[in-house]
Amino acid sequence: MEEIATTRASMLSGGSGAGNELAIEKREQAMLELADFDEVVRVYRPRILRFLLSSLTDRDAAESLTQECFMKAWSARHQFRGDSSLSTWLTRIAVNLMRDHLRSRSLRFWQKTRGTSLDVMDISDWVPDGRGTPESLAVARDRVAAVWEAVRDLSAQQRTVFVLRFVEELELDEIAVTIGMNLSTVKSHLYRALAIIRERMGGAK
Amino acid sequence: MKFRRDAVADNTANETREEVREIAEALSLYRSAMQHIAEREAARPLTPGLAQTIADRRPARTIPFGLLLAPALTAAVVAAVLVPVYGHFHHQHGAPPAPIVIAAQQNPNDTHAAVDDTALMNQIDSEVSEDVPDALRPLADLSDQTTTTSAVSEKNNATQE
Repeated sequence: MEEIATTRASMLSGGSGAGNELAIEKREQAMLELADFDEVVRVYRPRILRFLLSSLTDRDAAESLTQECFMKAWSARHQFRGDSSLSTWLTRIAVNLMRDHLRSRSLRFWQKTRGTSLDVMDISDWVPDGRGTPESLAVARDRVAAVWEAVRDLSAQQRTVFVLRFVEELELDEIAVTIGMNLSTVKSHLYRALAIIRERMGGAK
Repeated sequence: MKFRRDAVADNTANETREEVREIAEALSLYRSAMQHIAEREAARPLTPGLAQTIADRRPARTIPFGLLLAPALTAAVVAAVLVPVYGHFHHQHGAPPAPIVIAAQQNPNDTHAAVDDTALMNQIDSEVSEDVPDALRPLADLSDQTTTTSAVSEKNNATQE
């Protein structure tokens, strides 16, 4: 609470206007949200887990990194100034953890074993059954499986951008802020990722 | 001719639109599938409360470091302080009493030895200065007489020569 008051005082002394007030309110909201960390975990854990699961396609690694993400957020909660939304901040931590994980030796081991990796059947089984005919359901499952396989073959950066855009439904500028890239670089990765997926989808027809 | 070109263009546009629609639908299904899987995974219970985990893990991360360093530093400081102090006190106060004790223990012996020596010397003196026993008296006279006789005879011989 003291931090919030300090932040508000420093921001008000630094400028004025409705935009500034709005930014202050957003920061205060984010910092108040962060104050109840159990609630933060409850609200954002599914989202972070989904991002990591989609990116890594490994249950254990995704679960482990999700917990590590919230551990880091808890440790660094005093450094959070509300410059970005809490969601963006947590996602940025998760992206950094994933990068480290991909660089580590342990991943190479897991890449070989893939003991807890998601299977394409896990994905296609979740296609809703509310489709007219069994044929259309089968076609839908084939398409999801094709996307799944194509995403797995993307480079790490392409996959991150793709997942943030099409699974997390972030805007391109949000993606750029989250992963620390230029907007044009984000667009470039997304363009290449979609080209690969489109090519795979054409092959899957 | 123009009509045919437009028809081809329309077909191409329709195909592209259809392809885009299929891709969009596939991406939507993929998103839906990932959300369902993530919800299922997230429904699995997290280890007992993240805050509790943090509280449990924070000391676990710091304690080994402290456990290793703190006692070692304490022992080093205690040793650094106590060893010179002990040595100082041992040198100043501890060492002198021991010789005193030894001296105190040795003095009676020395006195006893001195007394014994005195007594022994007195005894020797008294025995040496004691008169010649009677049984040895004639021999003592004879010895004196022999000495005197030999001296006289030597003197006579010298005169004759």
